[in-house]
Amino acid sequence: MATEPLERAREEFLAALAGAGRDAARIEAVRVRFAGRRSGLLRDLEEALKALPREAKPAYGKALNELKQLVEARLAAAQAEAEAASHRQQALDVTLPGRRPRIGALHPVTLVRREIEEIFLRMGYSVADGPEAEDDWHNFEALNFPPDHPARDSQDTFFLAGGRVLRTHTSPVQIRTMETTPPPIRVIIPGRVYRCDSDLRHSPMFHQVEGLVVDEGITFANLKATLEAFVHVLFDPRLAVRFRPSFFPFTEPSAEVDITCVLCLGKGCPMCSGSGWIEILGAGMVDPRVLRACKLDPERYSGFAFGCGLDRVALLKYRLPDLRLLFSGDERLLRQFEGAAR
Amino acid sequence: MKFSLAWLRNHLDGDTPADELAARLTSAGMNVELREPSADDETWDVDVTANRPDAMNHRGLAREGAAAGCGTLKSLETAIVEGAARVGDLAKVTVEDAAGCPRYCARVVRGVKIAPSPAWLAERLERCGVRPVNNVVDATNYVLLDVGQPLHAFDLARLAGHEIRVRRARSGEGITTLDGVGRTLTPDDLVIADASRAVAVAGVMGGADSEISSATVDVLIESATFDPRRVRSTARRLGLKTEASHRFERGADRAMARTAVDLAAELIARLAGGEVAAGVLDSDPEMPAPHEIAFSLARLSAFVGCAIPSEFAVKVLGALALEPRVAGDIVTCTVPPWRMDLELAQDVYEEVLRHFGYENVPSVLPSAAVKPGRRLGSWPLTERARDALAGVGAAEAFTYAFVSSEVEVAAAGSPLAQRGGVVAVANPLSARMAVMRRSLLAGLAEAAGGNLRRGAESVLLGEVGRVFFDRNGAVAEEERLALAMAGNVGPWDAPRAADFLDLKGVVEAALSELGITATAWRPASAAVLAPGEGAEVVQDGRVIAVAGRFADAAALFDLPAPLWVAEVDLAAAAAAADIPVFEPLPRFPAVAADLTVRHKLLLLYAELVAAITAAGPDWLEEISLVVRYRGEGVAPDEVKTTVRLTYRHPERSLTQDEVNAAHFALMDRLSRELAVSFS
Repeated sequence: MATEPLERAREEFLAALAGAGRDAARIEAVRVRFAGRRSGLLRDLEEALKALPREAKPAYGKALNELKQLVEARLAAAQAEAEAASHRQQALDVTLPGRRPRIGALHPVTLVRREIEEIFLRMGYSVADGPEAEDDWHNFEALNFPPDHPARDSQDTFFLAGGRVLRTHTSPVQIRTMETTPPPIRVIIPGRVYRCDSDLRHSPMFHQVEGLVVDEGITFANLKATLEAFVHVLFDPRLAVRFRPSFFPFTEPSAEVDITCVLCLGKGCPMCSGSGWIEILGAGMVDPRVLRACKLDPERYSGFAFGCGLDRVALLKYRLPDLRLLFSGDERLLRQFEGAAR
Repeated sequence: MKFSLAWLRNHLDGDTPADELAARLTSAGMNVELREPSADDETWDVDVTANRPDAMNHRGLAREGAAAGCGTLKSLETAIVEGAARVGDLAKVTVEDAAGCPRYCARVVRGVKIAPSPAWLAERLERCGVRPVNNVVDATNYVLLDVGQPLHAFDLARLAGHEIRVRRARSGEGITTLDGVGRTLTPDDLVIADASRAVAVAGVMGGADSEISSATVDVLIESATFDPRRVRSTARRLGLKTEASHRFERGADRAMARTAVDLAAELIARLAGGEVAAGVLDSDPEMPAPHEIAFSLARLSAFVGCAIPSEFAVKVLGALALEPRVAGDIVTCTVPPWRMDLELAQDVYEEVLRHFGYENVPSVLPSAAVKPGRRLGSWPLTERARDALAGVGAAEAFTYAFVSSEVEVAAAGSPLAQRGGVVAVANPLSARMAVMRRSLLAGLAEAAGGNLRRGAESVLLGEVGRVFFDRNGAVAEEERLALAMAGNVGPWDAPRAADFLDLKGVVEAALSELGITATAWRPASAAVLAPGEGAEVVQDGRVIAVAGRFADAAALFDLPAPLWVAEVDLAAAAAAADIPVFEPLPRFPAVAADLTVRHKLLLLYAELVAAITAAGPDWLEEISLVVRYRGEGVAPDEVKTTVRLTYRHPERSLTQDEVNAAHFALMDRLSRELAVSFS
């Protein structure tokens, strides 16, 4: 066949170009050898066309054209690649680590607290606070824990010199709010609380958030709907919320509130001890004795209150195994929350 | 508390399936937490809430079951057979302190034979966690678990004068209780005494001297009620918590004191033989008038948020023995003596509602007109501070507010921490948590140390929290922000150990985030900071922050690397303006001129800047540091400081001549006033 030399030339060219790699000089040598204006192989092959018999010319000419296009395209691609490689060699590896400024990380309990505050701020609740070193009246007596009453046993109280206590719950701020604010009242009270107890599930210092609503005509049905809305926004709208009768001195009636286990969605798992439920809130209608202690008329006003452990919510939400980790100041834990929405 | 299912059924007519009974009790607030079936019975662990002592026995729980729709409560039958001898001839009861002991009932059973209890009784006690002792003691415990009345059996022969006196203990009076421990009493304690000595601590524990023994023949059964507060304070003081004290602290039923003594006497006679003497010694048979509670059905429905049918309410209250009488919308109830928790209408609402079922109440969001919520108290400040610490790259830590005395004192050596005395915890969990912190640095330095010891190359922790001061016996709380920094602060290709200026930069940035401006830094001699490596930040003459190297890091926390710490009083941020006000941008060009000043190291940079400011024209806009140089060509006690002066007049363009004139005049004045040179 007359086109055989073209086939040979094509194979030689591809081999030579592959051998040149990304080296610009060797690619240039390949170009000169095959596509040089004066002495390139393509030029010789073009010359050979003239010597062919007439009937062989069209097929040869077509094949030669294809070869020319191939050589041009491959050379251009190899030259571009070589140029890019040479830039890379010169300076920049964009995959090296950047010199990054340190970014901050809020504590996981701060994160869940803000999330909860946002939910209630949107429902018209204010966020209140009060002292951590409390007096007996606000921490106990006004909340219907009479002096020397066994209900106080459950509170594991730290006493300070001078008759104060470290507040055992955020409920004293309910009293402070009712003492100073005329209804309608809608507040939540996040804060730090203390009890003398320490093990895997208890820390002597921990955090609660409570809610308090007092107005004319507040009902138990209002309490149920509010806590359901809260749980559904905080965790998952698929969760069921279960209210069980219970006892707290400052609410009447009182309820323990369980939610479907957030991990197994009710199927039963180690986190919920196989029950499918997780106890998460205590709640109830404000006891009329408490309203009266705050000089509010229980004939006119009713209200509900609820509370839950913030640390426990953080544990559930972030799957943390041990409450005490939250107070370790361990940056390996804390920095896992870098960039979490503030 | 543990219950026997078969025993509960003894009190109930009808045979509700066990599963249904458990479910209904749980739904009504008597949470059946655990069920352990055995061949012919089940043991239930039921969480009876602290306000319901009346349900801490089988009859009481069965009554709840009946109210929950599981059968009806059987009436309590006693079939006591009395002998000829009259109790008044055999023993005598005197209550000298009726406030401490509202009712004391006693019966005498003569001629008993002490022996082990029959199997059925021993088994029931064991199922409920009570160890069988002998037939007489077991009979009293059985009645306790059956109807909730704590009882005590005395060996009548061992009561001097065959007499019971309920009185205050004498100061220093001694008694050896059943557990074999000798105890010393005070006049605040109530005792059961015979003619000569105390034989029991009232409502808490009996005495060893008069207990039932194998030699006992005649028994005196005590069934009494005591003042809950007195029982509680005695039990706490003696460190004793017994079945009896647990119940008396929560209140016992005066009527049941009388019934239970019959039940016990009858059971003892049945188990141990003997003859029950005729009559009861009863200190006060008169029952106080029962308490009545009236409520409106309409208001109950309004309180719950849905209609509660009147028949339902009446049925539940009837089953709970509240004897409801309906007159139109008003229901009047009589509170039975065992329901000491029922006082107000709302207490009765709860009775109806928990049996109605919380799950049957609809969910309705409150619809009151509300104002937008906002953060109150110190929340706006502390939230801003948290954002500030995160904004400068710190990880937010929570450390305990109580620390060891040693660490507290070391951390409190600063003007911020000396605003009051230390507040001690009266009952700390350990010496490591003995006192309230006056400085966040106590906990934060320790946490930073923990990270370094775990091998962290670089530490930057922050904390926002309260510190506590004793001020004239009152506790004052203040809000603080603290930072702790150690290890590398450079990027990976230029690592560098943190130094004071790294700390200062972070603190300055945090102060800016807090909106705290117009502050001055000056060397500090605070004890918490290493000498020569600390500073105070001053605003309007008041120290608002301290920063520097933590002095005792090596001694307290065994840290090899320097630990840089800072603490800020957040009160300083409270007055900060939230909203920036626009300042017009400059309209005329600036002229910059560098100035190199050679001066003694003792001259602080802040002093140099102050002198330049004073010496320059009004239109000296800015002084910024270009370079500090020490080394070759500069004396060891000197430094060359190059600053860039930016001149700009707010209202016109400056000429090079007037800038030059001002610049030279400034240099002139500096060299005269500060003894510096320029090169």
